[in-house]
Amino acid sequence: MSRRLAVDIGGTFTDLVALDESTGALDLGKTLTTPGNFADGVLDAIAQGDIDLADVSQFVHGTTVVINALTERTGCRVALVTTRGFRDVLEIQRANRTDMYNLLYRKPSPFVPRALRFEVRERVTWKGEVLEPLCEEDVLEVAAACRRRGVEAIAICFLHAYAHVEHEERAKCLLEEACPGIPVSASYELTREWREYERTNTTVLNAYVRPVADAYLASLAEQLEARGLRGSMLAMQSNGGTSSFGRSRRLPIHLVESGPVGGIIGAAAVARQAGLANCIAFDMGGTTAKVSVIESGDVAIRTDYHLERSQTWAGYPLRIPVVDIVEVGAGGGSIAWLDEGGGLHVGPRSAGASPGPACYNRGGDLPTVTDANLVVGRLDAGYFLGGRMTLNGENARRAVATLGEQVGLGVDDAAMGILRLVNANMQAALERVTVERGHDPRDFALVAYGGAGGLHASSLARQLHVGTILVPAAPGQFSAWGMLLTDLRQDFVRTCVTPCTPATWEHVRSEIGDLASEALRGFAEERVVVERAWAQLYVDLRYAGQEHTVLTPIHDDDDLDRLLERFHGLHERAYVFRLADPVEVVNYHVAAWGTVRKPSLREVGGGSAPLSVARKKDRRVQYEGLGWVSARVFERDRIPVDREIEGPAVIEEPAATTIVLPGQTLRRDRFGNLILAEEVTP
Amino acid sequence: MTACTVDLFTVEVIKRALVSAAEQMFVALGRTAKSSVIYEVLDYGCAVVDRTGRMVAQANGIPPFIGVLTDAVRDVLAKFHGRIRPGDVFMTNDPYMGGATHQNDVVLVAPVFFDGELVLFAASKAHWNDVGGKDPGSWSPSATDIYQEGIQFPAVRLVSAGEEVEDIVEMVARNVRAPELTLGDMRAQAASLQVAARRVAELCGKFGVEGVLEAIEISIDQGRRHALAELRSLPHGVYEAEEFIDDDGLGGDPVPVHVRVTLSDDEFVVDFTGTGKTCAGPINCPLSVLISTVKFAYQSVLSPHAAPNEGFFAPLRIVVPEDTVFNPRRPAPISTYWESDAYSGDVIWRALAAALPDRIPAGHFLSVCGTTVSGISDETGKWFFSVEPNAGGWGAAAGKDGESALVCTNDGETYILSAEVAETRYPLLVEQFALHAADAGHGARRGGLGIVKDYRICNSRASVTASFGRHLYPPWGFAGGQDGSQNRVEVYYPDGRIDRRGRLSGESMPAGTLVRFITGTGGGYGDPMARPLEEVRADVENGYVSREAAGSVYGVVLTGDPVVVDVRATERRRAGENSAGSTGKLEGLKGKTPKVSKTS
Repeated sequence: MSRRLAVDIGGTFTDLVALDESTGALDLGKTLTTPGNFADGVLDAIAQGDIDLADVSQFVHGTTVVINALTERTGCRVALVTTRGFRDVLEIQRANRTDMYNLLYRKPSPFVPRALRFEVRERVTWKGEVLEPLCEEDVLEVAAACRRRGVEAIAICFLHAYAHVEHEERAKCLLEEACPGIPVSASYELTREWREYERTNTTVLNAYVRPVADAYLASLAEQLEARGLRGSMLAMQSNGGTSSFGRSRRLPIHLVESGPVGGIIGAAAVARQAGLANCIAFDMGGTTAKVSVIESGDVAIRTDYHLERSQTWAGYPLRIPVVDIVEVGAGGGSIAWLDEGGGLHVGPRSAGASPGPACYNRGGDLPTVTDANLVVGRLDAGYFLGGRMTLNGENARRAVATLGEQVGLGVDDAAMGILRLVNANMQAALERVTVERGHDPRDFALVAYGGAGGLHASSLARQLHVGTILVPAAPGQFSAWGMLLTDLRQDFVRTCVTPCTPATWEHVRSEIGDLASEALRGFAEERVVVERAWAQLYVDLRYAGQEHTVLTPIHDDDDLDRLLERFHGLHERAYVFRLADPVEVVNYHVAAWGTVRKPSLREVGGGSAPLSVARKKDRRVQYEGLGWVSARVFERDRIPVDREIEGPAVIEEPAATTIVLPGQTLRRDRFGNLILAEEVTP
Repeated sequence: MTACTVDLFTVEVIKRALVSAAEQMFVALGRTAKSSVIYEVLDYGCAVVDRTGRMVAQANGIPPFIGVLTDAVRDVLAKFHGRIRPGDVFMTNDPYMGGATHQNDVVLVAPVFFDGELVLFAASKAHWNDVGGKDPGSWSPSATDIYQEGIQFPAVRLVSAGEEVEDIVEMVARNVRAPELTLGDMRAQAASLQVAARRVAELCGKFGVEGVLEAIEISIDQGRRHALAELRSLPHGVYEAEEFIDDDGLGGDPVPVHVRVTLSDDEFVVDFTGTGKTCAGPINCPLSVLISTVKFAYQSVLSPHAAPNEGFFAPLRIVVPEDTVFNPRRPAPISTYWESDAYSGDVIWRALAAALPDRIPAGHFLSVCGTTVSGISDETGKWFFSVEPNAGGWGAAAGKDGESALVCTNDGETYILSAEVAETRYPLLVEQFALHAADAGHGARRGGLGIVKDYRICNSRASVTASFGRHLYPPWGFAGGQDGSQNRVEVYYPDGRIDRRGRLSGESMPAGTLVRFITGTGGGYGDPMARPLEEVRADVENGYVSREAAGSVYGVVLTGDPVVVDVRATERRRAGENSAGSTGKLEGLKGKTPKVSKTS
């Protein structure tokens, strides 16, 4: 039992990373994802990697099964049970018109049709007092209707249930008894934050994906066990932690951003190891780029995630903790195009894997970012995917030249233009997670991964005045690698508006203390061996009378003044001012962690070799402001540790390429990371 | 194209950077403002305007602020020509000048210099909580002249070469009710202009002033070309429509709104000749607001996602006679301008809908349906104020049913209040928050539903103000679709009295009173008899349409539970009868009948 295994299913590829805990050796695998039967893809990857499951102490899984069921609308038929007078909350939503100049805006249609939304008599106040007891006959009638109408899952969300769970508990119990085989999700199991639409929607979406996720995880577990797995089975959650398969089958909505989070945890880990406390995780793949901020080693978590939200669509709110990721339609496959007014754009439409960029030679003839990278010499046509695929440079040139002619530019300038434009789009995303949230990018390093991360990171860093870039080893499988380092995490959030005064201080402390004990009890049910269980405590505080809150850490030895001072400081950083107004708690938030043992990473050798061992044939590469220059090309794995390479240079590895600009220097550190540095103006 | 020093990709990079300058100004102001109406209701907008007063890029929280800031910059240019220096900030809110809406919306304008050269202006406009006037909060549904609506700043210098002009700041502080809050917002707003200024300076450093200005010219030209291309695809002609605003806010007669829209290859002319005179009540709409609402209507018809720069609006020409509700005469009151403003867009859409049924939906509930519930809390002894907009039904269009429960055109990324939050903050019990099936807006494509929301007063006394426009004249249907239903407020007093009204002004109510807010269903599109059977069946199953209306209006006979269509009986009925009253009826009210026509 000396191996740890992570398998991450992505849109195109299923990635596998296996780590030998005794030697630190990593095995990597990449197989095509098998839509329709993801479990086969996982087993294929394991079989191809020649991994003996009996050796595996821990299996961590990132899966798109939940997000796919949601975005493809292939979940189940859900019924919703609400407090009388409130069944339409799911359809009324918050009534905002995100696409405000569009008269034909379509708001998100609810996941439960009105005919399957039932009301029962019951009512509690925001203080949790019962105004009207739960009418059990109403619940039984709903149960009968659900059976009659072929309902496959039930969601319950009562008004103010965050302050009084008993009605939901009782209704759940009655429905489970009366509707055997139909899973029932109640809002209190998912979130105890106020705002009925957001909570109802969260509960409904959990119910919607529950049968799908349950069947998938159950069958995967069974097959893994049949092949000898005895170690723990964990699923990667959106909150930056893992959870047992058992819990995930009941609360699958926590897996909604299961995939990308692994990379962010990984970014935090490599940055910490390299002595960089603050970093921006930058993951650029074929279709999108994703960015997220890590400050003092902490991954940023928000509870205002929206499924499918865009600048022109409200999307569906999920009141669960999700790592704060901003995504833009900018990837290698993003298509460059001209609008009818003569304006140029890159993305968000992507050529995907099929037909793919023009250079893939699969029938695509539209210019993409990958084509532009090939035209300017940043990619080597003969070394794509380590030479497993040959790119067609002529096709790329033709596609880019066609666009260039339309705007009066030659092929070289047009290709550089496409790259500058896609970088401008990504710069906007990077500014959204930094500048617009009160961070100065100069205080951060960029951790770049994904197939295209290293191609664009150097230009982006320069635009943002970021001085350090880190490209981790195996950037193509980085998300799966990050999953190996992830601890168990469960979040407990509860709304209870409480003034923060000397008179109420003991009450505040006991509320958060109670929540923490409840949270830690949860691990006992997980049946996963953890080294250490501990709780991170927060309160969502605000100035009385205001709406927005600031998540403020609270420590065991805090007194009221210290907590308030921390809040004032955080408020000032986020909103630039502090007030003398009274402060109140809105939510109590506990993150319960179960620490797993961290693998130690093997250091790379070859310290004394000359740089020339890594040298490949020089090639002509176009750089902005310099035109075509002869750049030195290196094979990543052969670069000796800590030997500096001055730009312009190109670093190649089978699944990725890293560009070094003139004025930047690069070295490979002892863990195999590429570190690019540049002096930045203060 | 003229010889240029910047290529088109560079133009795009500069364009994005300018939009992002406007957006970052927007975010910065949202983060630093002290009034919730700014950072929660998003009642503010930011723009980058060129040095001749043309719109370059903007970021808005609500649609009526589109393109409005250019007029303010032009006023500053006209008044301070040759005297604009680095570090200056100008302030204007005079509704009878350019760029202002009501006095609460204060515009600040800062020049951006690079190497001593004036390059651009950064401007923003934000709703200040209070600017004086007769009522707390300044805007007032019962104002009879503009002096009652707050202090006026006629484009004055607020900051001079980096130094606040003390006299002006003191004047502001002395004339508002909560100076600390107001000055806080004012300074946040002034500081946020510098965010854009820094971005622009960075751009100038990288691409040169020439490069930036040239990119702006090209981008404005692209906007114009884009608009002209769209305009050429529209059916040319002259389209007219007339509607009526229910009253002037003080209970006067309905106010006619008349528009004549002329579409040609290179112009989109909107002429409001025939619109009613300046009103006694504060529903008058200052010319700047009118222009910006017409810009919104124009953009929504032409190309909702186009970058709204000066070039894009170049083909638009607006004619508004003086001394009308859309171009009132000083000192008429204007502080609830949105009560008339929304009609200027609506009547344009109404005139064009029949010609562009795939771009324009039928009429929607139109009014902000704003409500205020206030009083002194029995429990805390402190004042409470609940101020919120309401959601309502939107109209159907050729390709879609109307949306249910959306905010009106005057609101954008505006969120309605959660019942749980409302009950926690205010002594209210929300007894129902549901869709309201009003038996209206029927059509081949159906109007969306409004809402019904019941507030039970749980305080010994509360005061309720509600302004529900379209309580007389319902949202319009077209192409055979039926009209929607009206907005209204119903008050059920504990003594059994019932009051049904369109507007309530500070009505005092005892504990136990139930106030019911009902918003309208949107208008329908097309003959209801043509609505697909399965959709009518689903409508009935879901309770959007009654079984009776399914039979009498849609000609669909339904049986059983779960509901199924009796196909034979339905065919007989649909073949035998013409639809009853589904011809987009234009009903007369108070002797006034809305009308629509196309004359060429």
